[in-house]
Amino acid sequence: MSTLLFRRLLYSIPVLLIASFLLFWMVRTTYDPTARLAQVRDPATRQHEIERLGLDEPVITQYRIWLGDFLRGDWGESVASRQPVSELIPKALWNTVQLIFWGILVAAIIAITIGVYSAVKQYSTGDYAFTALTYIGISMPPFWFGLIAIHFLAVGPKEWFNLDQVPLNYVGLHSVGESGFNWDYVTHLVLPVMTLSIQIIASWTRFQRAATLDVLGSDYIRTARAKGVPRRRVIIRHALRNALIPLVTVMAVDIGLLFGGLIITETIFSIPGMGRLFITSLVGSDVAVIEAWMLVVALFILAFNLVADALYGFLDPRIRVQ
Amino acid sequence: MRRQRRGLKLLALILGLTLVAAACGGDDDDSAANEPSDEEVPEGGNLVIGAEQEPECMDWMGSCGGSSWGFWMAGVNTMPTSFEIVADGDSWTYEASNLLAGEPELETDPQQVVTYTIADDAVWSDGEPISCADYVYTWDQVANGTDIYDTTGFRDIDTVECPDGDDGKTVVVTFAQSYAGWKSIFGGQFGIFPAHILEGQDRNAAMLDGYDWSGGPWIIDHWTRGEEIQLIPNENYWGEAPHLDSVTFRIMADTQAEFEAYNGGEVLSIFPQPQNDVVEQVEQGFEGATVDVQANSPNIEALWINNAVFPFDSQAVRQAFAYSLDRDAIVERLFGGLGVNEAVNSFNAPVLGDFGNPDAFADYTLDLDQVDQLMTGDGWEKGSDGIWAKGGQRATIVFKTTAGNARRETTQDIVQQQAADAGFEVTFDNQEAGDLFGTQLPAGDYQMALYAQVLTSLEPSLSSLFVSTNIPGPENDNSGQNWTRTNIPEADEPLLETDSNPDQEERSAAAAEADDLLAESATSIPLDPLPNIAIWNDLIVGPKVNNPIWGPYANMEEWGLAS
Repeated sequence: MSTLLFRRLLYSIPVLLIASFLLFWMVRTTYDPTARLAQVRDPATRQHEIERLGLDEPVITQYRIWLGDFLRGDWGESVASRQPVSELIPKALWNTVQLIFWGILVAAIIAITIGVYSAVKQYSTGDYAFTALTYIGISMPPFWFGLIAIHFLAVGPKEWFNLDQVPLNYVGLHSVGESGFNWDYVTHLVLPVMTLSIQIIASWTRFQRAATLDVLGSDYIRTARAKGVPRRRVIIRHALRNALIPLVTVMAVDIGLLFGGLIITETIFSIPGMGRLFITSLVGSDVAVIEAWMLVVALFILAFNLVADALYGFLDPRIRVQ
Repeated sequence: MRRQRRGLKLLALILGLTLVAAACGGDDDDSAANEPSDEEVPEGGNLVIGAEQEPECMDWMGSCGGSSWGFWMAGVNTMPTSFEIVADGDSWTYEASNLLAGEPELETDPQQVVTYTIADDAVWSDGEPISCADYVYTWDQVANGTDIYDTTGFRDIDTVECPDGDDGKTVVVTFAQSYAGWKSIFGGQFGIFPAHILEGQDRNAAMLDGYDWSGGPWIIDHWTRGEEIQLIPNENYWGEAPHLDSVTFRIMADTQAEFEAYNGGEVLSIFPQPQNDVVEQVEQGFEGATVDVQANSPNIEALWINNAVFPFDSQAVRQAFAYSLDRDAIVERLFGGLGVNEAVNSFNAPVLGDFGNPDAFADYTLDLDQVDQLMTGDGWEKGSDGIWAKGGQRATIVFKTTAGNARRETTQDIVQQQAADAGFEVTFDNQEAGDLFGTQLPAGDYQMALYAQVLTSLEPSLSSLFVSTNIPGPENDNSGQNWTRTNIPEADEPLLETDSNPDQEERSAAAAEADDLLAESATSIPLDPLPNIAIWNDLIVGPKVNNPIWGPYANMEEWGLAS
């Protein structure tokens, strides 16, 4: 098992290097980090900036310097704000991690519950209802859902019931002057977590249902039932554990993708996470941030793919033996 | 089953009516903005305002500090300025601020000399008096510093002297050459910087993430990037003390979310860009709010034409293109819901009022006969597809603007359609703002582009845009701002006079002369005023002023919060 993981880790290194070079090359040939200085009246400023950033060097040289600096912890400086990128990204990452953590937790609980229920009660009214809801959820654009949720769960109730304030907040992760884990934090989390998890819940539910159905049709489940093991125990103790294996690996991969994929949620709910940082940097041609951001997200995606492989091997002894 | 269907229909009807009711607005009060208020202002309270952008940094004179939003939120409330911009009837004018003991003295003969007298009680937040040294420091930083956003006017200053010593309250500014916009210096976008705090330091590094000093009614409590900027009262401010305990600007990038935040009471004021959906929202109205739509804005959105490339290297073609457009109809389509339905007819921003000739381009209305006459006179013929052609080349125009701007894309669609009716083929090639403004426009890599010029003071600044010596080239290290390559030598002198002549009437006459020449040449085509839209909840007590240059949050010290 450890050999397998070590091998996967080794294979990841060239993949990461190639991906990082391609990303770096595409960014450097697309964006000019000194473009904003064309409007500055002192013409020497732009030339000074070109020399300072090494932009007059060949791309391969620029990449080598950039990669070396990155590995040493020097991720460059935002050309917009002059902030070290190594400070900007962790701050944004922390906000995104909070959203991902709560979103995944909620999505996992709901998806597993509904998926198992749908499988156990296959073709029941409940199963059909949940199936319809999951298809709606899969096709629901997060941007639209987020705004609808704000309107019907926050702004609407305040107007309809003449409340002093909205029952659920939707700007940032805290109200002005608040911090920490408290009721204010919870009221700020509900709507963004709903928005980011709606499609995840829908797809995981379908996945869990299929995996559970697959397991429920196994010989050992039939044997357990024939031996008189109570149905509930069969499902929870025997079927669920094995049905979770594929879902857990899918979850690990999806979590990795979320690190760069919450652009819409973070924009709507004004949460300064990785998604908003990316958009702001893209619009502002903030090359150093874009490059570091892409590499960090690539690292997370690779890392969680490795986690998925490890989990699969851990949970399924057959894989370990193989 | 029938009962269920009826129930479902009723539910749908109720939901539909709910949506309609939610969409319908109530009354709003358009008349209460920009007027004095007699209301008694309550003390205390924390005001939260929605902000569409945050500054990249708070070094207001650095290239990273050229952010309008940054200045509207923090700069104008913390940086002392020599002049304020105040309403004067339908227009706006400079008025000596409470930083000064009175109106500065202006001498023009033999050279321009301005003498400021700083108010005795004007102090920084640490109690240190604001003095001549601060003016000297500010001038030195702008005139001689690197990476300065805009040095306009400062480099025309010869000396800044302190006849009563550095700590004195008298400042004598001598200009090497006359500069008409002298009131915008030591005011406007920068304000005055504290020498005793910043001298000897890297100013940019010291102010990058905000600063803990102030010469205004507010002081920055904190700036959490991406989240909020909070101001608290400056206890040492010598003017009117704020009534509020704090003001927090929450950064919200999405316009729709911003409106929802306002509707839900998460924020009590917003200042949205006039995009298509914003116009619709404002049209619907806001209950319990004061809404000010300012058509006399400092903004000019225009079709900027490259006079050096085919087919616009011909004056006849430029004029013909101008006659092919119904500009009023375009403005009506964009902003008619706000009551703004007339095109601007000068490159001088509407906020400048009657300065120059505000009707210079008024003759350019839709006139297809004129188009035909001008084009055929210039040797063009219409092909079988209805598009003008000359010497084997078609009248095809690539039209650029900033990518992802829905309002501008609407403008493009209308222009394309109108131009097609007149025989011009217009195609689109939208660009990222950084590329468009940073590379393509300065390099002349465009035929026609749609974007806005925004004034940051009450000075017209057209000379930088149209004087022939400002065409980017080796003479100016390609830093010239005359991106349209306008080359009308007889317009250079009046344009330069608007910058140098301190006599306002003579300036205006020179500007009018320049406006007429620019219009005759149809060097570019002014289009719309890009109105400023400010929305304040009526829970905010006090005068609401939609200052065209300083934004709607420049007088928050006069505000309170109703319970």
